[in-house]
Amino acid sequence: MIEKNIIELSGVEKRYGSFAAASGINLDLKEGEFFSLLGPSGCGKTTVLRMIAGFQDPTQGTVTIDGRNMEGVPANNRPTNMVFQSYAIFPHLNVGNNVAYGLRGRAPKAEIENRVAEALEMVELGGLQLRGANELSGGQRQRVALARALIMRPKVLLLDEPLSALDKKLREQMQFEMRNLQQSLGITFVMVTHDQYEAMTMSDRIGVMFNGRLAQVDTPASLYARPCDEEVASFIGEMNILPASVAGESDNALSVNVAAFGNMQIDRNPNVTNPGKGIIIGIRPEQLEIKSEKPEDYPATVQGKVINVAFYGENIHYHVTVDGHDKPIAVSVPNYFHTVDFNRGDTVWLGLQAASAIDLGRGK
Amino acid sequence: MKRPSTLTGYALLYLAFLYLPVLFLPLFSFNSGTIVAFPIKGWTLDWYRKLGEQDTLIQALWNSIGVGFVAALLSTAIGLFAARAFVRYRFKGQRAAEGLVMLPLVIPGIIVASSMLVLFLFLGLKPSLVTVALGHIFLALPFAVSILKSAFDDFDASLEEASYDLGVGVFETFRRVTLPVVAPGIIASILVTFTVSFDEFVLAFFLSGNQPTLPVYIWSQIRFPAKLPNVLALGSILLFTSVLLLVLAEYFRRRSSGKGT
Repeated sequence: MIEKNIIELSGVEKRYGSFAAASGINLDLKEGEFFSLLGPSGCGKTTVLRMIAGFQDPTQGTVTIDGRNMEGVPANNRPTNMVFQSYAIFPHLNVGNNVAYGLRGRAPKAEIENRVAEALEMVELGGLQLRGANELSGGQRQRVALARALIMRPKVLLLDEPLSALDKKLREQMQFEMRNLQQSLGITFVMVTHDQYEAMTMSDRIGVMFNGRLAQVDTPASLYARPCDEEVASFIGEMNILPASVAGESDNALSVNVAAFGNMQIDRNPNVTNPGKGIIIGIRPEQLEIKSEKPEDYPATVQGKVINVAFYGENIHYHVTVDGHDKPIAVSVPNYFHTVDFNRGDTVWLGLQAASAIDLGRGK
Repeated sequence: MKRPSTLTGYALLYLAFLYLPVLFLPLFSFNSGTIVAFPIKGWTLDWYRKLGEQDTLIQALWNSIGVGFVAALLSTAIGLFAARAFVRYRFKGQRAAEGLVMLPLVIPGIIVASSMLVLFLFLGLKPSLVTVALGHIFLALPFAVSILKSAFDDFDASLEEASYDLGVGVFETFRRVTLPVVAPGIIASILVTFTVSFDEFVLAFFLSGNQPTLPVYIWSQIRFPAKLPNVLALGSILLFTSVLLLVLAEYFRRRSSGKGT
């Protein structure tokens, strides 16, 4: 498949007076991909989405959709459709008329009816055309909003926190369904979310935003394995952060002395933008070994004391204090045999593989 | 905490003082005697029956209905745009503009009436039902704006955005989304502004020339003691209609807030 850019943002900036809601946004979205803009609230992700939709104009930079510069093109003339956070279901129209809204007057009646039926079928609301807008549950409203946007056959579907109003079980189910829908339709989806798990499970690629800037754009797996800095590392999943000093370096490896764990040879992280002599190392809690005896085959080990045990069901979290680092180190162990092996106060050994120690560059 | 009974008593007394005199109006309108005083001589519906026989009264009624209708429609139409702008946008001079729109509520009616009379004469407009209607639009506007503002407050802005997003232009969006969603607020505004105009006296007195509205007609009749019971009957009908319209308006206003998001 030839990968074509469906959306290109270059040098996009949005200012309100002296406040920059978004700045320096350069982003190419490929045709047919599921892309998420992820970040804490107020980071500017919704502003970027609304600039793509045409509800806000960039102060600077250009938005190109399907090869066309969108400057001066209002929202109603853009090949995008949006699912709003509030779903924005028209309260005075029933489900069928809500879904048909954008087609009215542009297609023959019979065709509209067929397409409405088809769109409702697609979101598993088949036959609910006559249901009133106020008689819908949260999940149904979400599906109506999806059908109403998809019936327009957009080149890009924009989703503004589409699942945040749903409860956890329904949210997980919808994540799965929306991903399937996107794959079968082959339409580009651009979703804004503050939920890292949502972004990870649904997206082909994720753009992480902080303070109006894109920090990193990458696949979920490499965001998790090779975050570009401490901020991204801590926002996506849990991360133990330890200081380290660089003793020697080559093109793709670093020889480091990590607090508590000591000397080891690790890979250079290609995503790091600010390397230095004093760096920080990230370690995912589930990649640490925890044993009562000193573990074999680990290049770095440290002895410590369990100060907290948290049972999550699918895994167990231990907090272990060690010499040489003041913050306790988090370790996560899968619950294989329904046993909790260590208790508060136990003395344990932690083992670290070089591949699990992530170079995060200089701290901030 | 127990509420002191003196406060309850005070509240009841206050309400009685406020509304009892108003209730004497319908009471004496059923009195067969012509003197408004106790004891009541006997019960009759004659005064109501006689209302229908007076041509000038019927003419004044139609004048009032016509003026009320025009004032209600126009003040609601103007108020609709003002209210949407006040709720949806933030602009320079917004507070001043909102204050100005609300000003007619506090300016003494006599001042407004006399200055309008001067203005209309200056413009070459003879006092007539047209000038009364213009004056009433001005008076009713603050009512329209405040009712419609609360209707727009409950109106999710993303509904309009969703419509644009689905390829529909600004004007069609207004017709297909904005108007129907705020419709209960519009109806409430029309009912209230109609009532405001229908019951208004001072402006109508100054601006109506020789085409009296109902309140002006009533005032002209009050001077004749023999006509007083008739006026009481007419006043009772006015009272009842106004209350009915306002209750209806409140019903629609609540429906519009219940419909939000």
